[in-house]
Parts: sequence; C-alpha cells; structure tokens
Amino acid sequence: MKTIYKKLLFLLLMLPFSVLAQSTLDGSVVDSKTNQSLPGVNVNVQGTQAGTSTDLNGKFKLSKLKKGDKLIFSFIGYQTKTVAYNDQNSITVSLVEEANLLQEVVVQVGYGSVKKKDATGAVTTVGAKDFNKGTNVTAENLLSGRVAGLTVNTSGAPGSGSEIRIRGGSSLNASNDPLIVIDGLPIINVENKSSTSILAALNPNDIESFTVLKDASSTAIYGSRASNGVIIITTKRGGKKMAVDYNFQYGSGKNVNQIDVFSADEFRAIIQQYKPSLVSSLGTANTDWQKEIYRRTDFIDNNLSVRGNLFGTIPARISIGNTHQEGIRLTNSFDRKTVSTTLNPTFFKDHLKLRLNATFANENNRFADGVEGTAFRYDPTQPVYQAGSPFGGFFEFYNTSTGNITPLASNNPVAQLLQTYDKGRNNRIYGNFEADYKLHFFPDLRAVVNVGFDQSNGYRNKLVAPNVASGNQYTVSGIINYIGSDYTQTILLRNKLIDTYLAYNKKIGKLNLEATLGRSYQIFNEERTYYGDTRRNPASQVNPNVWRPEADNVLIGYFARTNLTYNDKYLFTASIRRDGSSRLTSDNRWANYPAFAFAWKMKDDFFKDSKTLSDMKLRLGYGITGNQGLPSIYNNAYLQQYATGNSNSQYTFGSTPSPISLSRAYNDNLKWEKQTTYNVGIDYGFFNNRITGALDVYYKKTDDLFNVAPVPDGGNFSNFLIQNVGSFTNKGVEFSINADVVKTTNFNWNLNFNASKFERRIETLANGADIYLGSAPGTGGTSQIYRPGYTPNSFYVYKQLYDTAGKPIEGAFADLNGDGIITGNDRYIYKNPDPDVTFGFASSMNYKNLDFSFNLRASVGNRIYNQVNAGNAQLVALTSGTVASNVPTQILETGFNTLSDKIGLSDLYIENGSFLRMDNVSLGYTFPKWLEGKASLRLFTGVQNAFVLTNYSGLDPEITGGVDNTIYPRQRSFLFGANVKF
Amino acid sequence: MKKFKINAFLLVGSLIGLSSCTKDLDVLPKDPTVSTAEAFYAQPGAYKSALAGVYGNLSLTGTDGSGSSSLQGLDAGTSQYGRCLWYLQDLTTDEVLWSYENDPGTRELQRNIWTASNPVILGMFSRSMVEVAFVNDFLKNTSPEKLNSRGVVDATLLNNIADYRNEVRVLRALAYYNLMDLFGKAPFVTENDVVNTAGPEYNRQQLFSFIETELNAVLPSLKAPKTNEYGRVDQAVARMILAKIYLNAEVYIGTPKYSECATQCTAIIAGGYSLNTNYLNNFNADNQTSPEMIFTLQSDGNYTQNYGPTTVFVNGSVGSIEQNGASVGVSAGGWGGALRLRKQFVQKFDGASFNSDTRKTIIAGARNIDIADISDKDQGYILKKFSNKNSAGVAGVNSTFVDTDFPLFRLADVYLMYAECAVRGASTATATQGLTYVNDLRKRANNGSSIANISATDLTLSFILDERARELHWESHRRQDLIRFGKYTGGSYNWAWKGNGSNGISISNNLKLFPIPTNALAANPNLTQNTGY
Repeated sequence: MKTIYKKLLFLLLMLPFSVLAQSTLDGSVVDSKTNQSLPGVNVNVQGTQAGTSTDLNGKFKLSKLKKGDKLIFSFIGYQTKTVAYNDQNSITVSLVEEANLLQEVVVQVGYGSVKKKDATGAVTTVGAKDFNKGTNVTAENLLSGRVAGLTVNTSGAPGSGSEIRIRGGSSLNASNDPLIVIDGLPIINVENKSSTSILAALNPNDIESFTVLKDASSTAIYGSRASNGVIIITTKRGGKKMAVDYNFQYGSGKNVNQIDVFSADEFRAIIQQYKPSLVSSLGTANTDWQKEIYRRTDFIDNNLSVRGNLFGTIPARISIGNTHQEGIRLTNSFDRKTVSTTLNPTFFKDHLKLRLNATFANENNRFADGVEGTAFRYDPTQPVYQAGSPFGGFFEFYNTSTGNITPLASNNPVAQLLQTYDKGRNNRIYGNFEADYKLHFFPDLRAVVNVGFDQSNGYRNKLVAPNVASGNQYTVSGIINYIGSDYTQTILLRNKLIDTYLAYNKKIGKLNLEATLGRSYQIFNEERTYYGDTRRNPASQVNPNVWRPEADNVLIGYFARTNLTYNDKYLFTASIRRDGSSRLTSDNRWANYPAFAFAWKMKDDFFKDSKTLSDMKLRLGYGITGNQGLPSIYNNAYLQQYATGNSNSQYTFGSTPSPISLSRAYNDNLKWEKQTTYNVGIDYGFFNNRITGALDVYYKKTDDLFNVAPVPDGGNFSNFLIQNVGSFTNKGVEFSINADVVKTTNFNWNLNFNASKFERRIETLANGADIYLGSAPGTGGTSQIYRPGYTPNSFYVYKQLYDTAGKPIEGAFADLNGDGIITGNDRYIYKNPDPDVTFGFASSMNYKNLDFSFNLRASVGNRIYNQVNAGNAQLVALTSGTVASNVPTQILETGFNTLSDKIGLSDLYIENGSFLRMDNVSLGYTFPKWLEGKASLRLFTGVQNAFVLTNYSGLDPEITGGVDNTIYPRQRSFLFGANVKF
Repeated sequence: MKKFKINAFLLVGSLIGLSSCTKDLDVLPKDPTVSTAEAFYAQPGAYKSALAGVYGNLSLTGTDGSGSSSLQGLDAGTSQYGRCLWYLQDLTTDEVLWSYENDPGTRELQRNIWTASNPVILGMFSRSMVEVAFVNDFLKNTSPEKLNSRGVVDATLLNNIADYRNEVRVLRALAYYNLMDLFGKAPFVTENDVVNTAGPEYNRQQLFSFIETELNAVLPSLKAPKTNEYGRVDQAVARMILAKIYLNAEVYIGTPKYSECATQCTAIIAGGYSLNTNYLNNFNADNQTSPEMIFTLQSDGNYTQNYGPTTVFVNGSVGSIEQNGASVGVSAGGWGGALRLRKQFVQKFDGASFNSDTRKTIIAGARNIDIADISDKDQGYILKKFSNKNSAGVAGVNSTFVDTDFPLFRLADVYLMYAECAVRGASTATATQGLTYVNDLRKRANNGSSIANISATDLTLSFILDERARELHWESHRRQDLIRFGKYTGGSYNWAWKGNGSNGISISNNLKLFPIPTNALAANPNLTQNTGY
C-alpha cells in the first residue's frame, strides 16, 4: 500500500505540468561510462506509436510530446531507461551498459531462471561476449578454461568430443559426464558412431549462453542425472530489430610435435649395434613416418544469421552454418552443415510466450584410424611407396616370391590411412517447443509446457581396399590373399521429452515468493544395425544384417521448487525432485532428491559505507543428487535376461553348430548412486563491480556407488556384478575473479582468472577389495587401481631401483613387502592423474577499434603413465618378427633390454604432466562504419593452440584417464576471419 | 481464492495427465538376441540352446565372440576354461614357458611365485564356479514343476530334457573336480540356492564325496559311451572324472583308491574307444573324429572362435626364427614365439629309443636348449604337436582361430592311468595288461613298430610319470601328475625357472594348492584362504 501512496503523490505533483501544450524535444543518448554517443538507440513514447531512433551521432528529435509522456530508451546491451518528458527542449540520456550490472545477468536454473544477484547456488554463466575466440568447432570449447571447476579436454581430431568434467567427476563406474540441457531438453550422453561427438551437431554460433550448475542445491532439480553437474545451453533468440551477422573464418593448421624416436641414420647405427642380424632387412630411405601420416590442414567456417521480426509480429532468427575442418591425419575430416531457426512470438500482451527452436545438422565425417603407434615404430629406413608393390604401390614388408606379408611386421601406416575409406554421415534433428502462459484470470501463475525432440540418424561405412596388406584374408595353396573389408553400421538415437510445470510468483510486502511445480517425462531409444564384414572372400559369406536395439530408457520426474526472498536480502531456495527410472526394479525405482540453499546479501549489513566493496553475498547450499549414467547395456540389469550367442560363438552338437544361450548376470537390487553435496560460497564485487568473482568451497560424498565388483562365485552368472557398493568423497575449492582493469573511452582491458583444486578419495569399495584398471603393456595388463583411501585411477606400479649414478637398474625393484621376491604384491600406489590445481586465464583488451585477446589454461601436478615409453622403449622392441622397429629415444636414458620382469610397470614411467597451454591468441580490428555506416566489419587473425609449456616427455600432457598410449595430436593453426554485422 | 484453488488443481491435473502413466517405466528388452527368462523358454529350441550354453562355457568365454567374456578381472580371451586350466596345470611345470611375461599372471605362474591376486587363478576359479551357476540355472529351469508350469508336454522334448539334466550334472561334477584338484576347496552351490547365494565352503573330502555320489547317481541314466552325439557327455566322461578322483584320492583325501580307478578305466576301455593310428591326428583340425577322444573342448574357425588352449598352442608354438605358421595352418609368424619348451621336458625324449617316436615333435634347429632370458624368443626349443591342418593336410578356415579341439579326456590317458594303478598295486588291474597298454602306445608312436616297446621291468612309477609327459604333454595333466608322484613341490625335481631360478630351485609345499583368489575370498565370507597365502 505504501508504494501506491507514493505513486499517487507523484502523479499529483506532476499534474500541474501536463496541462501545458505539446512540444518538440531534441536529445542525445550517450554511454553512461564513456560519454560516447550511442547511435541506433530506440526512443519510444510509452503507450503510443510515436518513436524514433538515434542517428549516427546519437541524436534524436521527437515532436508532439505532452508533458508527462514517458520516453523509453532501449538499446541492445544496455539497460532500458524510462524518462518522463518535462517540457524541456533538450535532453541528454545516459544509458548504462547491461554487462556492467552483475545483478542483471540471468542464470538458467532448470525449469526457470533467476537473476544472477538472486542466485543461491554455485552457478556460473558465460555469455556470448565472454566466449573463447578462435577455432571452436564444438560448443564446449567456447567455455574451456572460463569456469572455475570445469575442465574440457578435447582431442586433436576434427569436430571431436571432449571429456567434460565439473568438479572432477564423482563416480567410478557410472558416467562422470555432466548433464547437458539445450533449451530445456536434456540430451543423451551417447555419441552416435557416425558422428564425432554429442555436441558436434550444435553450431557454436547459435549459442547465447552457458550456465554451469555446479553444486547440488542448484542441480538437484534434475534429480537422478545431476550428480556430475549440469550445463544449460541457451540458444540465441529472434529479435524485434532486423540484424544480419556473417562470420567467416579460415585456418591453416599443422602438427607441431612428435614422439622422439630415432632418425633413419641413427636407426641404422642402433640396429648395427644391437641387432646386426636385422641389418639386411633395412632399406635405404630416410622416412619420418610421423611426418608422413600428417598433413597441413584447412579449416573453413561460414556462418550467416538473420534476426528480425517476421510478419511484424514474430521475432525470429535463422542461421545457416557450414564448418569444414580437416584433421592432420591424412584423409580425416569433419564437415558440418546446420540450419537452425527460432521463433519466439508473444501473444495477448505477453501473456502467452511461445518459443520454437529447430535445428537440422548434417555431419559428414571421414574417420581415420589411429596409426600413431605404428608410425613411430615403423622402420625409418623404408620408403612410403615402392615401385611394383602389389599393395597399391605402398611399401610393405613382404616376401617377393610368395607375395606373403612378412609375419609380425606392422603395416605401412600411410597405406593404412590411404587405403581406408571410413565415412560417417549423421543427420540430426533436434529442437523444442515451449509454451509459457501467464494466466489471464490469475497472472501470478504461469503454466509452461516444453516438448523436446532429438533424433540422430547415423550411417557409417568403412571400406578397406582389397589390395591392403592386412585384415581379412584367405589362403589359396599357401598364398595369403588379402581382401579388405566392407562394414556398415547404422545407428538411431532418439530422445523425446515432455515437461509441464506451473510457476507462481507473488510479492507480499518484503517477501517475494516463487514456486514451481511440475513433471518431466523423457524416453530414450537406441537402435543399431551391423552388416557386412569381409568382402570378396570366397570362403565365407557376408555376415547377415544384425539388428541390435537396446531396451528403452524411460525417466519420469516430479519436481517442486520454491524461492523465498525477504527484503531483497535473505534468499532461501528449496527444491525436491522425485525421479523414477525404467532401469530399476519397481521396488527401487523411485528416489527423492531434495536440496536447500540460503543466500545472504551482506554488503549492507557489514560494509554499508564501504566504497571499495560493492557487493557481497554469502551462499550456503546442501542437496542430494543422483547418477544414473550407466551404459545402455545396463538398461535392464535388474532383470534376468538370456543372451543368445552370435554366429562365431556356437557349440556343436553332432555336426550342427547350435547357438548358445546363457543368462546374463543380473542384480535385482540395483538402485541409484546418490551424492550429498555441501557448498559454501561468496560472490563479491569491488569498485562498483569492476572487479567481481566468487569463492566456493565444497564437500561431496557419493554413496551406493555403482561398482562392477566381485560377487560370490557360483551365486550369479559372472564373478563381477554391477552393484551399489562403496563410497567416494570429493572436496574442493574454486576461485574466480573478473576485472575490468582499464575502462576508458579508448582503452579497455578485461582479465578473467580462475583456479580450482579438488581432492577425490575412494572411501569404501565392495568387500574392501581393490579393483585394477588402466592399460599397461601385455594382454589385459593394468597400471591403475581403485583402492579405499586413495584417489581413483591412482597408478599401481613397482618402485624402480637406481644405481649410484642415478641410472635405473633394469628389472630391479624394491621388495616392498620384504618377502625376498618381487611379485605382484610389491606394487605400490604412486601418484594419480588428478591435477593438484587447474587454472584458467583470459585477457581481452581493445584500444579504439583494435582488439587483442588470449586465453591460457594450466594444470599442475597431474601425472601420466607414459605407456608409449613403458611398452616400447626397450631394446627387445627393436625387433618385430624378422623386421626392425623404431623405439623411443628414451631408451638411451634407461638402456633397458627386455620387457619382461614388469619393466613396463616401473614407476619411472610415471611422469609429471603439468602444463600451461595457450589455447588461442587473436588480434582484430573493427571498421565500425563500413559500407557508409550500414555495417560494421571486424577483421581478425589469431593462433589456435599457440603453445604448450610442459616437462612431460611425451607428445602432449593433456590426455584423458592418465595413461598415454599415443594420442591424436592437437594441431596448431593460424587463423584469419571476418565478422560483418548489418 | 477458492476459485483459484480449483483452477490450479484442474490445471495441475491436466498438465500431468498430458504425459502417459508411470507404467512406461516397465521396459522389456528389444534386442532379438536377448530375452527375459519366460520369453526365452517359450521359444522353440530354447532348451537345447540353453544346454549349448552350459556346454559352451567350457569352450567359449561369452556370447559375443572371442573378445567377450561372462567373467571380469582378466583378459576376456584368457578367461577361457581350457586355457586357464592349462596355465595352471602345465605352465606351472617343466613343460613350457610363455614368452610374453607382461601378460598379467603368466610370469608369476611359470616361475611358481603366484599370489592370490593372480588374474589367471581368478579366471580358473570363476570360470569353474560360473559353470556351476549355469548348470544350476539349467536345472532350476528344467525342473518338472517349471516344465509343467510352462506347459511343456511334448514327450520327445521331455525325454531329451531328462537327458540334458543328467549331462549338466556331470559338467557340474567336472567343475567341482577341477576346483578340488586345484584349490582343495570350493563354495558349494546347487540348484536349490537362490541367486547371489554365498555358498558354504566345501573341503576336499566333502567335494570328493559329492562328486563320487553325484556321478554314481547319474551314471546309469547317461548314454552309453560313444552313443551320444559329438560334443555331449556320456557314461565314459562320468567314469573318467571318477577315475581321476580315484587316481588322486591319496592326494585329495589321504586314502588310496587305485583299484576303484582301475575299475573305471576298464569300463571306459570297454566302451569301444581305440587308439588313433596316427598320434598327431589327435591334435589336428579334425581331431574330433579321432576314435580315441572321450571328451574334447571345442574350437572352430567359424562357429566356435575362442582364445582357448588349441588356438594358443598352434599360434603360440610358431617359432620366432622358424616362422613356421603356414605349416600348421595359421599365419606364418603366429604369435612370434609365445611358447617354448623347458630343457627338462625336452630331455624326456633323450635317447635312441625316441628317434622315430612320432610324439617327439620338438624343433631344435640352431636353438639353445637353455632359456636364460625368457623374453628372448630365439632361445629354447619349440614344439609342433598341435596343428590347424586336418588329417588330409588342409588348413582350417581361419588363420587365427583353429579348428582343433582340445583333448580333455582321451584313451591314451586311460591306458596310462590303468598301468599306473597296476604298478601301484590295484587289485582290479594287472601289470601284464598295464604293460600291454603302454606298449600299445609305444607301437602307435612308432608307426606300428615294436622297436620302442618296453619290458615288464621297465614299467616303474618313474617311467610312468615320464611316459605320461611324453604322451600327454600340454594336455593339462602335468601338475596333477607331478603332485601325485611327489615331484611338484620341494626340491627332488627341479626344472628351469622353477621357483624363479633359471635352473630351478625348491618350492614350498603349500604351492600344491592355488590360493583362493582375493576377489572370490572378499566376496564370499564363508571361504577361507589356503595355507601359506
């Protein structure tokens, strides 16, 4: 009531002035900070059709104004301002840039949004203007290094997916991938084999913002899928003003690093010295195989988007994108075409808001096998091509009289690439339709329906040339004939969603109440077919078409959330989700995921008079989330199922092969992994929020861990079974700071820095038993361990002994259990692949029309098991059957001869993988008044993957899982491009 | 306000009604190769296919090809029943060495320094126990009540199922026999236990009684020897298991039962088996047709692909220098010299009497008989006993997965068992008959010639132990034989790399039994660890 009195009073005061006649107003609009004039600002008179926009000098003129008219100044990127006309002849209006106002940033929180200033959870939003620059083919790379606690590790393959981790992941056997939600549609975390990644179909140019939900108080609304955090992607919308954007980018890339092996001449000397019997097998060429398998690459990216008001009433946006990226591996390429449309009209005076997003993406990939392992070992004295070779002209080791391939010699890696045509085509359609209706008879309540659909239809065909020197073969009178192969698979993934919810918003005095109540239904289908294998093999038939659909996965959730704000100072959020899943028995099917959060805007209580501190908010959060990210093979893991064997797995009765049928192991007591998270955070701002940031501390405990753990032998149909046993903790701290270091008319400089540290521990495991994993030399070898009290994937190795000169003694390990003999019991836990700290750093500055930006990422303390050396840097590896093989030069340091006696599991192969990487550096210049002021043009150039600083001896320290067994190297590319805006 | 309430409830109701009901959470498998128990048994041929599963577990590791396994904790291919058995029975003895010691578990096994965490030991234990689980599941699903409830009334099918039930009980006894022999104990689980039962620990005496009782109970109902179709169990197989437990009864339960063993041997021999005139035809691609075979583990380049013992033998014994894979029907280089012979085994064939012995398939070439460095595949002699070519010399269809079956039980073994029982004083065997059987094997080995025949005085226990090595090497008998003759542990007989010494050293007596695998022990609180581990 008080406010109404104030308004009445105000009107009464204004009344005398409005009696006067209409007149004309001259005005100008400037930026509040820089005082620069703003062209193109909309100036409208509230409640009338009258309006104009500012000219290039920021000036406008309006006539026929009445005293008391409300003038509305709106401009993209600025806060809308309303000014009352007061008979003045001229006016200067200063608009405040929106980005300067922390409190106006909107944060998506799942089934709704809140203003950043009112957010109660550990949530980070990255908007388009803060995205990483450069070649960002897949969406996640736009925010790599920008969010504390979020790591993105992308392989070197074009269009490839990334290992995305929020706070390091919290599961052992279930997925550690965060839930990704695009415009309200949670997408499936399974990649289509014809595609390079789950996000490959999303054109990064269409993204408006990412919101990363890190703690349970914010993620619990997503219930059983929220334990690994949530990334909410919001795509761009249509606008009322016509705008055309065209982006072009070209990049040229190359490989920059190699595994250190011997050159042809060095190799000849080594073979002469150590394996003289192989000298006769050497050739006369000088081939750098790690160079031959790679190439210079082109990257071309075109994107056109048009935004405007369709038929004058429907704000719409359409974008067309085409990305072509070549991999440095010969033949490897990624090609994506996307068309995406958005319509977001509103009706009935904004009572009904509709939003339709639809994207069609066509991906054409040519995949290339990983031949790095073959290439670095291939004899450098042999040529790539050899005249008269029956294998397509490629050099191969073969017996010239019989035509047979030399046993145990590997194949020419260049031939492997060029003689394979492995093509994947993926057509993906996804989108959603959202209707948001504010009830006419009760405007405090909104009813929202969101229907989502995502289908990817993949086809992949791998052809291997018939004159290839490997793979399928048949023998005719002792001569082996290779016949190549022709193998096709199709993959269909479908995901349908219906979300319905009610949102209620009411301000009662100082109390603001928001409540949401709804239901979510989602179904995932997965179907695959396989056919073909060997072609032109007279001895065997082409395999028949095999159809392998997985069981559907259905998820139903009910959710409710309330936000209470008192006096705009104390904020309280409570949410609960009840989730049911088809992957569990009816007894365990449903689970509840509650969360609570409390936030207190403390600035006015403690630092009311501070000029330095401009913002301070304390956040406390608690919540329980779930994890249901199991491979689809577990879709029915609670049911006893009989699997019938394939045609190669039969048992013969009499003379007839009979298919075998066996029960799969099953667990009728399976339930969801549950995680409890506590989070304490502070959001701060200094100097009128020129410096902002957050500090968060968290503790997470995962219970009922999914674990493939031993079961009593004889009691089930395996010795291991997926079970809910064990627990896991993760504690960490995250810090971020964003500073407008310089903010003047001509020169601006923004810095963004974040650091995060976490410590993951396995607390308990099934029966307390260790679980071995991680590859190592040898069939089925393991180099890592899960053990209670240690970080998951810790390395489990032997302790190397060294001589007085510090040189490792071959085969000499510490007898740690003191039984006088070196056995598996002498292995110990030595380090782990988790980093101690990770950092992200970004800088962007502009001087007048010139802009310069770069971003850096660093990881400290992560360890790597260098399996490239562990499995190959021994003299025994110089021989491969009867031919010579190259080995890593690390052999010069160790002088190791053999691979037996566990040499490959020596702790000397565990290396420090700390690194500092510059992902991108770019320099641009903007012509703001291009084409006589009709457009603006920005030209830029840059370097992607500019440098990596590391002591790691392998190719690249940024690997996943901790075991380096050769990777697809990341190319360095030089870019230039243009953005045009009309 | 009241109006609002009603409207809101209507709205909530209608919104939630938009989506279908929670019954959607009951999903069923869609994959045509996977079905629930009831759906599966409703299919025609289900019972035979399930039977093939129980048998198949002895040859295959999983349902989806050679790389799939129903077990975890070790490499899928390595988890094959016959391969694990061979690793434990032969790789731990004087017969052979595996070159790739970085293959987990192999180094410790062949150097007799294994621990409870050895993956191959886990593989053997779990493979045997999962066979028990598959048998129990088959018996549960074929009980008269179950069949009745499913409306199975076809008389032929019911008769067949009755046969199947008898046969799988023999397979369960086989699994417990292996466990009793290798581990001295096992969790005991039957068809009366529910899923995930942690079975009580049965010691050797209990297992012995169970196997003996079970086989004797089922024996009369089994098909007569050689009357069942290939791949299935008959009376001779049951008798063979009985013969084995009696032969080793002194080791197992401290009571000699050589007479009982000889009785079973005589019954088996009477079953109509005969020696193959060509010794090597027992180890080639069509060895399933050999008249000598009592039971084999199947392998087929097309239909039964596995990394079982015969695929390992044929590929693994290809020499690193010789590159002789083509002569045994696999790729020329095979596996680069994975398997080589230890000196003490090679020396079993020393002497002129073995000059024309077809069982001596050792290739010496320019190789050194000693293996000083296990990773140097050029050291030590190699063997060419197994082949992927058939008796007509035609190579199998696949150059990796061989067509050669593994001879788990064959007549020659029975002959030697009989002879041993005779020498050990069995009342049901005669030394004369034993000598005849031994000389039958000698003649066969010498193309029918008697030049290598032995005399009655030659027929001693130490001769039998050596002759068993010459006749049956790599057929997964050696460890059991050495233990029975007191030569496995201790220092009375040392072989290269025994006890981790290149010339062999004494090993502890407790190594006669393998440890209960760490994982198995952890998962089943009823189990106790064997002494010394």
